[in-house]
Amino acid sequence: MESKPVPAKLLNAAPPYGHIISHEKWRGSTLVQSFKGSVKMIFEEELGVVDFCLSNKTCVLYVSESDLVAGNGYRRKIVRFRNANSGLQAVVIVEKTRVSEQYFSALQKFVVLELGLTLLPVSTSAEAAQLIAQLVFGQSKENPFRRRTVSRLLDPLVLSLVQQIPGVGKVKAQLLLQTFPSILQLSRASVQELEPVVGPATAQHIRGFFHNQIT
Amino acid sequence: FPVSADAPLAVLVDARCISGGSELLSLLRIRHHLQVHVCSLGSTDFIISNRTAVEWQSESEVSSAHNRRRLQERMQRLQATYERVCLIIQKDRTRPGETVRVFQRSRYYDSTLAALVTAGVRLLFSNGFEETATILTDLTQVEKRKGQAIQVPLEVKGHRQQALQFYLTLPNMSYICALNMSHRFSSISHMISSSVEDLQASACVSRSRAEEIYRCLRYSCDPVLINQTNQT
Repeated sequence: MESKPVPAKLLNAAPPYGHIISHEKWRGSTLVQSFKGSVKMIFEEELGVVDFCLSNKTCVLYVSESDLVAGNGYRRKIVRFRNANSGLQAVVIVEKTRVSEQYFSALQKFVVLELGLTLLPVSTSAEAAQLIAQLVFGQSKENPFRRRTVSRLLDPLVLSLVQQIPGVGKVKAQLLLQTFPSILQLSRASVQELEPVVGPATAQHIRGFFHNQIT
Repeated sequence: FPVSADAPLAVLVDARCISGGSELLSLLRIRHHLQVHVCSLGSTDFIISNRTAVEWQSESEVSSAHNRRRLQERMQRLQATYERVCLIIQKDRTRPGETVRVFQRSRYYDSTLAALVTAGVRLLFSNGFEETATILTDLTQVEKRKGQAIQVPLEVKGHRQQALQFYLTLPNMSYICALNMSHRFSSISHMISSSVEDLQASACVSRSRAEEIYRCLRYSCDPVLINQTNQT
Protein backbone atom coordinates (compact mmCIF):
# COMPACT_ATOMS: atom_id res chain seq x y z
CA MET A 1 0.00 0.00 0.00
CA GLU A 2 1.43 3.36 -1.00
CA SER A 3 0.98 6.12 1.48
CA LYS A 4 -0.27 9.44 0.21
CA PRO A 5 2.34 12.15 -0.25
CA VAL A 6 2.68 14.47 2.71
CA PRO A 7 1.18 17.86 1.97
CA ALA A 8 3.93 20.44 2.04
CA LYS A 9 1.74 22.86 3.94
CA LEU A 10 1.56 20.56 6.93
CA LEU A 11 5.31 20.10 7.26
CA ASN A 12 5.85 23.81 7.02
CA ALA A 13 3.42 24.54 9.79
CA ALA A 14 5.16 23.99 13.12
CA PRO A 15 2.89 22.77 15.90
CA PRO A 16 2.50 25.29 18.73
CA TYR A 17 4.94 25.04 21.64
CA GLY A 18 4.38 21.96 23.80
CA HIS A 19 2.32 20.26 21.08
CA ILE A 20 3.15 17.55 18.61
CA ILE A 21 1.34 16.48 15.50
CA SER A 22 0.72 12.76 15.71
CA HIS A 23 -0.40 10.35 13.03
CA GLU A 24 -4.06 9.44 13.47
CA LYS A 25 -3.18 5.75 13.97
CA TRP A 26 -1.63 6.55 17.37
CA ARG A 27 -4.91 7.82 18.84
CA GLY A 28 -5.63 5.91 22.05
CA SER A 29 -2.28 4.08 22.02
CA THR A 30 -0.20 3.41 25.15
CA LEU A 31 2.48 5.70 23.79
CA VAL A 32 0.13 8.66 23.47
CA GLN A 33 -1.37 7.91 26.88
CA SER A 34 2.14 7.90 28.38
CA PHE A 35 2.51 11.59 27.64
CA LYS A 36 0.06 12.14 30.49
CA GLY A 37 -0.68 15.65 29.40
CA SER A 38 2.95 16.82 29.36
CA VAL A 39 2.72 17.17 25.60
CA LYS A 40 -0.50 18.01 23.77
CA MET A 41 -1.45 15.96 20.73
CA ILE A 42 -2.86 17.14 17.46
CA PHE A 43 -3.99 14.14 15.40
CA GLU A 44 -3.63 14.23 11.67
CA GLU A 45 -4.37 11.62 9.03
CA GLU A 46 -2.28 13.07 6.24
CA LEU A 47 1.09 12.62 7.87
CA GLY A 48 2.39 10.09 5.31
CA VAL A 49 5.27 8.01 6.54
CA VAL A 50 5.90 10.24 9.59
CA ASP A 51 4.57 9.19 13.01
CA PHE A 52 5.19 12.42 14.94
CA CYS A 53 6.01 15.97 13.87
CA LEU A 54 7.64 17.93 16.67
CA SER A 55 8.20 21.21 14.91
CA ASN A 56 9.08 22.16 11.39
CA LYS A 57 12.57 20.82 12.07
CA THR A 58 12.11 17.39 13.65
CA CYS A 59 10.03 14.42 12.61
CA VAL A 60 9.93 10.98 14.17
CA LEU A 61 9.39 7.52 12.74
CA TYR A 62 8.61 4.78 15.24
CA VAL A 63 9.86 1.23 14.67
CA SER A 64 8.20 -1.15 17.09
CA GLU A 65 9.42 -4.46 18.42
CA SER A 66 6.98 -6.30 16.14
CA ASP A 67 8.14 -4.30 13.08
CA LEU A 68 11.67 -5.54 13.75
CA VAL A 69 10.68 -9.13 14.35
CA ALA A 70 8.41 -9.22 11.28
CA GLY A 71 11.33 -8.90 8.87
CA ASN A 72 13.02 -6.28 6.75
CA GLY A 73 9.87 -4.52 5.53
CA TYR A 74 10.51 -1.57 7.82
CA ARG A 75 13.68 -0.77 5.86
CA ARG A 76 11.73 0.48 2.85
CA LYS A 77 9.60 2.55 5.16
CA ILE A 78 12.70 4.16 6.68
CA VAL A 79 14.08 4.97 3.23
CA ARG A 80 10.77 6.60 2.26
CA PHE A 81 10.81 8.45 5.59
CA ARG A 82 14.26 9.80 4.79
CA ASN A 83 13.39 10.79 1.23
CA ALA A 84 10.21 12.58 2.30
CA ASN A 85 11.98 14.59 4.99
CA SER A 86 15.25 15.79 3.54
CA GLY A 87 16.23 19.04 5.17
CA LEU A 88 14.48 18.13 8.40
CA GLN A 89 15.91 16.48 11.49
CA ALA A 90 14.69 12.94 10.90
CA VAL A 91 14.74 10.74 13.99
CA VAL A 92 14.00 7.02 14.07
CA ILE A 93 12.95 5.71 17.48
CA VAL A 94 13.24 1.95 17.84
CA GLU A 95 11.90 -0.42 20.47
CA LYS A 96 14.97 -2.31 21.60
CA THR A 97 13.66 -5.05 23.86
CA ARG A 98 14.93 -8.45 24.89
CA VAL A 99 13.14 -9.87 21.87
CA SER A 100 14.27 -7.30 19.32
CA GLU A 101 17.79 -6.44 20.51
CA GLN A 102 19.37 -9.05 18.25
CA TYR A 103 18.23 -6.95 15.26
CA PHE A 104 19.46 -3.67 16.71
CA SER A 105 23.05 -3.49 15.48
CA ALA A 106 22.07 -4.27 11.87
CA LEU A 107 19.34 -1.63 12.09
CA GLN A 108 21.78 0.90 13.55
CA LYS A 109 24.27 0.28 10.76
CA PHE A 110 21.53 0.77 8.18
CA VAL A 111 19.89 3.86 9.69
CA VAL A 112 22.91 5.76 10.98
CA LEU A 113 25.80 4.71 8.76
CA GLU A 114 24.05 4.10 5.47
CA LEU A 115 21.17 6.57 5.58
CA GLY A 116 22.70 9.20 7.87
CA LEU A 117 19.63 9.49 10.10
CA THR A 118 19.43 9.55 13.88
CA LEU A 119 18.46 6.35 15.69
CA LEU A 120 17.43 6.31 19.34
CA PRO A 121 16.60 3.09 21.18
CA VAL A 122 13.92 2.83 23.88
CA SER A 123 12.68 -0.29 25.64
CA THR A 124 9.03 0.60 26.15
CA SER A 125 6.52 3.00 24.66
CA ALA A 126 6.51 4.87 27.99
CA GLU A 127 10.25 5.49 27.52
CA ALA A 128 9.56 6.65 23.99
CA ALA A 129 7.04 9.18 25.30
CA GLN A 130 9.57 10.54 27.80
CA LEU A 131 12.23 10.83 25.10
CA ILE A 132 9.89 12.55 22.63
CA ALA A 133 8.80 14.97 25.37
CA GLN A 134 12.48 15.89 25.92
CA LEU A 135 12.91 16.45 22.18
CA VAL A 136 9.89 18.77 22.31
CA PHE A 137 10.92 20.76 25.38
CA GLY A 138 14.62 20.83 24.51
CA GLN A 139 13.84 23.04 21.55
CA SER A 140 13.04 25.99 23.75
CA LYS A 141 16.17 25.70 25.89
CA GLU A 142 19.62 26.83 24.96
CA ASN A 143 21.48 23.79 23.66
CA PRO A 144 24.51 23.14 25.90
CA PHE A 145 26.28 21.02 23.26
CA ARG A 146 26.11 23.39 20.35
CA ARG A 147 29.31 24.90 19.11
CA ARG A 148 29.81 28.38 20.53
CA THR A 149 31.43 30.87 18.26
CA VAL A 150 33.59 32.94 20.52
CA SER A 151 35.72 35.49 18.77
CA ARG A 152 38.97 35.07 20.57
CA LEU A 153 41.67 37.67 20.66
CA LEU A 154 44.47 36.43 18.42
CA ASP A 155 47.34 38.14 20.27
CA PRO A 156 47.78 35.51 23.02
CA LEU A 157 47.46 32.76 20.41
CA VAL A 158 50.22 34.24 18.23
CA LEU A 159 52.35 34.61 21.35
CA SER A 160 51.97 30.91 22.15
CA LEU A 161 52.78 30.01 18.53
CA VAL A 162 56.08 31.89 18.80
CA GLN A 163 56.83 30.03 22.04
CA GLN A 164 56.71 26.74 20.12
CA ILE A 165 60.11 27.66 18.68
CA PRO A 166 62.75 25.77 20.71
CA GLY A 167 64.75 28.18 22.86
CA VAL A 168 62.11 30.90 22.76
CA GLY A 169 60.26 31.55 26.01
CA LYS A 170 57.68 34.16 26.80
CA VAL A 171 60.10 37.08 27.17
CA LYS A 172 61.87 36.45 23.86
CA ALA A 173 58.54 35.82 22.14
CA GLN A 174 57.29 39.22 23.31
CA LEU A 175 60.48 40.94 22.16
CA LEU A 176 60.25 39.26 18.76
CA LEU A 177 56.63 40.30 18.24
CA GLN A 178 57.55 43.95 18.95
CA THR A 179 59.77 43.93 15.88
CA PHE A 180 58.06 41.26 13.75
CA PRO A 181 54.35 41.57 14.68
CA SER A 182 53.05 38.59 12.68
CA ILE A 183 54.08 34.95 12.22
CA LEU A 184 54.53 35.57 8.50
CA GLN A 185 56.92 38.48 9.12
CA LEU A 186 58.83 36.56 11.77
CA SER A 187 59.23 33.54 9.47
CA ARG A 188 60.71 35.78 6.77
CA ALA A 189 63.21 37.57 9.04
CA SER A 190 66.89 36.94 8.28
CA VAL A 191 69.46 35.94 10.91
CA GLN A 192 70.92 39.47 10.63
CA GLU A 193 67.51 41.00 11.40
CA LEU A 194 66.85 38.60 14.29
CA GLU A 195 70.27 38.94 15.98
CA PRO A 196 69.79 42.41 17.55
CA VAL A 197 66.56 41.19 19.21
CA VAL A 198 67.46 37.76 20.59
CA GLY A 199 71.21 37.31 20.06
CA PRO A 200 73.06 35.16 17.53
CA ALA A 201 72.33 31.66 18.90
CA THR A 202 68.54 32.04 19.16
CA ALA A 203 68.52 33.88 15.81
CA GLN A 204 70.00 30.76 14.19
CA HIS A 205 67.46 28.55 15.99
CA ILE A 206 64.54 30.63 14.79
CA ARG A 207 65.75 30.73 11.19
CA GLY A 208 66.32 26.95 11.27
CA PHE A 209 62.93 26.27 12.85
CA PHE A 210 61.12 27.95 9.99
CA HIS A 211 63.34 26.98 7.08
CA ASN A 212 64.86 23.57 7.80
CA GLN A 213 63.53 20.98 5.39
CA ILE A 214 61.22 18.40 6.92
CA THR A 215 62.40 15.06 5.68
CA PHE B 1 50.54 10.17 -0.79
CA PRO B 2 49.11 7.48 -3.02
CA VAL B 3 47.50 4.86 -0.81
CA SER B 4 46.53 1.51 -2.27
CA ALA B 5 42.91 0.45 -1.99
CA ASP B 6 43.75 -2.46 0.29
CA ALA B 7 45.88 -0.42 2.71
CA PRO B 8 44.70 -1.07 6.26
CA LEU B 9 42.26 1.44 7.71
CA ALA B 10 44.07 3.81 10.05
CA VAL B 11 42.75 5.26 13.29
CA LEU B 12 44.29 7.45 15.97
CA VAL B 13 43.52 6.63 19.59
CA ASP B 14 44.00 8.92 22.55
CA ALA B 15 46.40 7.65 25.20
CA ARG B 16 43.69 8.00 27.85
CA CYS B 17 41.86 5.09 26.22
CA ILE B 18 44.58 2.59 27.13
CA SER B 19 43.34 2.31 30.68
CA GLY B 20 39.94 0.71 30.40
CA GLY B 21 40.17 0.29 26.64
CA SER B 22 43.00 -2.13 26.01
CA GLU B 23 40.49 -4.83 25.13
CA LEU B 24 38.98 -2.54 22.52
CA LEU B 25 42.37 -1.71 21.01
CA SER B 26 43.19 -5.42 20.68
CA LEU B 27 39.88 -6.06 18.95
CA LEU B 28 40.53 -3.23 16.49
CA ARG B 29 44.02 -4.51 15.72
CA ILE B 30 43.53 -8.25 15.69
CA ARG B 31 39.96 -8.87 14.66
CA HIS B 32 39.35 -5.86 12.42
CA HIS B 33 42.95 -5.43 11.15
CA LEU B 34 43.01 -1.70 11.72
CA GLN B 35 46.23 0.24 11.91
CA VAL B 36 45.97 1.73 15.40
CA HIS B 37 48.28 4.46 16.63
CA VAL B 38 48.08 5.61 20.24
CA CYS B 39 49.13 9.18 21.03
CA SER B 40 47.92 12.20 22.93
CA LEU B 41 44.98 13.61 20.96
CA GLY B 42 43.92 16.09 23.61
CA SER B 43 40.25 16.62 22.99
CA THR B 44 38.94 13.34 21.59
CA ASP B 45 39.08 9.58 22.11
CA PHE B 46 39.36 8.51 18.45
CA ILE B 47 40.06 10.14 15.11
CA ILE B 48 38.83 7.92 12.31
CA SER B 49 39.17 10.19 9.28
CA ASN B 50 40.30 13.63 8.18
CA ARG B 51 37.09 15.16 9.49
CA THR B 52 35.59 12.84 12.11
CA ALA B 53 36.19 12.53 15.83
CA VAL B 54 34.58 9.80 17.91
CA GLU B 55 33.99 10.19 21.61
CA TRP B 56 33.42 7.06 23.67
CA GLN B 57 31.46 7.07 26.93
CA SER B 58 29.61 4.60 29.07
CA GLU B 59 25.86 4.77 29.53
CA SER B 60 26.35 5.63 33.20
CA GLU B 61 28.72 8.52 32.36
CA VAL B 62 26.21 10.03 29.93
CA SER B 63 23.33 9.56 32.36
CA SER B 64 25.11 11.01 35.37
CA ALA B 65 24.39 14.66 36.00
CA HIS B 66 27.79 14.93 37.73
CA ASN B 67 29.43 14.60 34.33
CA ARG B 68 27.26 17.26 32.75
CA ARG B 69 29.89 20.02 32.58
CA ARG B 70 32.64 17.73 31.37
CA LEU B 71 30.48 16.27 28.61
CA GLN B 72 29.33 19.73 27.53
CA GLU B 73 32.85 21.13 27.40
CA ARG B 74 34.19 18.15 25.48
CA MET B 75 31.36 18.21 22.95
CA GLN B 76 31.64 21.96 22.37
CA ARG B 77 35.37 21.64 21.90
CA LEU B 78 34.96 18.76 19.46
CA GLN B 79 32.32 20.58 17.46
CA ALA B 80 34.65 23.56 17.15
CA THR B 81 37.54 21.38 15.97
CA TYR B 82 36.04 18.63 13.79
CA GLU B 83 33.59 18.70 10.90
CA ARG B 84 31.84 15.61 12.25
CA VAL B 85 31.43 14.40 15.79
CA CYS B 86 30.17 10.97 16.86
CA LEU B 87 29.47 9.71 20.35
CA ILE B 88 29.42 5.99 21.11
CA ILE B 89 27.41 5.25 24.24
CA GLN B 90 28.43 1.85 25.57
CA LYS B 91 26.47 -0.19 28.06
CA ASP B 92 28.23 -0.61 31.39
CA ARG B 93 29.88 -3.94 31.87
CA THR B 94 28.72 -6.19 34.69
CA ARG B 95 31.61 -8.04 36.25
CA PRO B 96 31.22 -11.73 37.04
CA GLY B 97 29.48 -12.15 40.37
CA GLU B 98 27.98 -8.67 40.23
CA THR B 99 24.23 -8.35 40.14
CA VAL B 100 23.02 -6.97 36.83
CA ARG B 101 22.26 -3.32 37.35
CA VAL B 102 19.12 -2.28 35.59
CA PHE B 103 19.72 0.94 33.75
CA GLN B 104 17.29 3.49 35.10
CA ARG B 105 16.49 5.78 32.26
CA SER B 106 16.17 9.23 33.73
CA ARG B 107 14.65 12.36 32.30
CA TYR B 108 18.12 13.88 32.48
CA TYR B 109 19.49 11.11 30.22
CA ASP B 110 16.72 11.71 27.69
CA SER B 111 17.21 15.47 27.71
CA THR B 112 20.95 14.88 27.15
CA LEU B 113 20.25 12.62 24.17
CA ALA B 114 17.76 15.12 22.75
CA ALA B 115 20.23 18.01 23.07
CA LEU B 116 23.06 15.99 21.51
CA VAL B 117 20.88 15.05 18.53
CA THR B 118 19.76 18.63 18.03
CA ALA B 119 23.36 19.85 18.25
CA GLY B 120 24.28 17.56 15.35
CA VAL B 121 26.24 14.91 17.27
CA ARG B 122 25.84 11.44 15.75
CA LEU B 123 24.88 8.96 18.43
CA LEU B 124 25.71 5.27 18.32
CA PHE B 125 24.73 2.72 20.92
CA SER B 126 26.86 -0.27 21.84
CA ASN B 127 26.34 -3.32 24.02
CA GLY B 128 30.01 -3.76 24.85
CA PHE B 129 33.60 -3.74 23.63
CA GLU B 130 32.98 -6.06 20.67
CA GLU B 131 30.16 -3.97 19.33
CA THR B 132 32.09 -0.74 19.90
CA ALA B 133 35.00 -2.17 17.87
CA THR B 134 32.61 -3.10 15.04
CA ILE B 135 30.99 0.35 15.08
CA LEU B 136 34.39 2.09 14.95
CA THR B 137 35.47 -0.12 12.04
CA ASP B 138 32.21 0.44 10.16
CA LEU B 139 32.47 4.21 10.68
CA THR B 140 36.07 4.20 9.44
CA GLN B 141 35.05 2.24 6.36
CA VAL B 142 32.23 4.66 5.55
CA GLU B 143 34.67 7.57 5.84
CA LYS B 144 37.08 5.81 3.50
CA ARG B 145 34.31 5.33 0.93
CA LYS B 146 33.65 9.06 1.14
CA GLY B 147 37.31 9.82 0.41
CA GLN B 148 38.10 11.01 3.93
CA ALA B 149 40.40 8.21 5.09
CA ILE B 150 43.58 9.06 6.99
CA GLN B 151 46.35 8.74 4.42
CA VAL B 152 49.52 10.00 6.08
CA PRO B 153 51.95 8.05 8.28
CA LEU B 154 50.72 8.17 11.85
CA GLU B 155 54.08 8.52 13.55
CA VAL B 156 56.29 11.60 13.41
CA LYS B 157 59.84 12.23 14.54
CA GLY B 158 62.48 14.97 14.71
CA HIS B 159 61.80 18.30 13.04
CA ARG B 160 58.44 16.99 11.78
CA GLN B 161 57.44 16.55 15.43
CA GLN B 162 58.31 20.22 16.09
CA ALA B 163 56.25 21.25 13.07
CA LEU B 164 53.32 19.15 14.34
CA GLN B 165 53.45 20.88 17.75
CA PHE B 166 53.53 24.29 16.07
CA TYR B 167 50.54 23.45 13.82
CA LEU B 168 48.59 22.07 16.81
CA THR B 169 48.83 25.52 18.41
CA LEU B 170 46.88 27.10 15.51
CA PRO B 171 43.24 28.01 16.26
CA ASN B 172 40.76 25.09 16.42
CA MET B 173 43.30 22.75 14.88
CA SER B 174 42.56 19.05 15.01
CA TYR B 175 45.36 16.53 15.51
CA ILE B 176 44.75 14.90 12.13
CA CYS B 177 44.84 18.18 10.19
CA ALA B 178 48.08 19.18 11.93
CA LEU B 179 49.48 15.74 11.12
CA ASN B 180 48.46 16.11 7.47
CA MET B 181 50.26 19.47 7.30
CA SER B 182 53.38 18.09 8.97
CA HIS B 183 53.64 15.55 6.14
CA ARG B 184 52.68 17.73 3.21
CA PHE B 185 54.72 20.89 3.68
CA SER B 186 58.46 20.77 3.07
CA SER B 187 59.15 23.29 5.85
CA ILE B 188 57.24 25.37 8.39
CA SER B 189 57.84 28.56 6.36
CA HIS B 190 56.43 26.73 3.32
CA MET B 191 53.21 26.20 5.27
CA ILE B 192 53.17 29.78 6.56
CA SER B 193 53.44 31.31 3.09
CA SER B 194 50.87 28.97 1.50
CA SER B 195 47.66 30.18 -0.12
CA VAL B 196 44.25 29.42 1.38
CA GLU B 197 43.73 26.82 -1.39
CA ASP B 198 47.01 25.05 -0.57
CA LEU B 199 46.19 25.01 3.14
CA GLN B 200 42.76 23.61 2.42
CA ALA B 201 44.13 20.81 0.24
CA SER B 202 47.12 19.91 2.40
CA ALA B 203 45.44 19.95 5.80
CA CYS B 204 42.18 18.48 4.41
CA VAL B 205 40.05 21.18 6.00
CA SER B 206 37.07 23.25 4.92
CA ARG B 207 37.54 26.59 3.20
CA SER B 208 36.51 28.54 6.29
CA ARG B 209 39.01 26.71 8.51
CA ALA B 210 41.78 27.27 5.98
CA GLU B 211 40.90 30.98 5.96
CA GLU B 212 41.06 31.05 9.76
CA ILE B 213 44.60 29.58 9.68
CA TYR B 214 45.64 31.97 6.92
CA ARG B 215 44.38 35.00 8.87
CA CYS B 216 46.05 33.90 12.09
CA LEU B 217 49.46 33.60 10.41
CA ARG B 218 49.16 37.14 9.03
CA TYR B 219 47.64 38.73 12.12
CA SER B 220 49.66 41.72 13.32
CA CYS B 221 49.93 41.72 17.09
CA ASP B 222 49.34 44.84 19.11
CA PRO B 223 52.57 45.55 21.05
CA VAL B 224 50.56 46.87 24.01
CA LEU B 225 48.43 43.71 24.25
CA ILE B 226 51.49 41.49 23.90
CA ASN B 227 53.16 43.21 26.84
CA GLN B 228 50.01 42.99 28.94
CA THR B 229 50.12 39.23 28.56
CA ASN B 230 53.37 39.46 30.52
CA GLN B 231 51.69 40.69 33.67
CA THR B 232 48.98 38.03 33.82
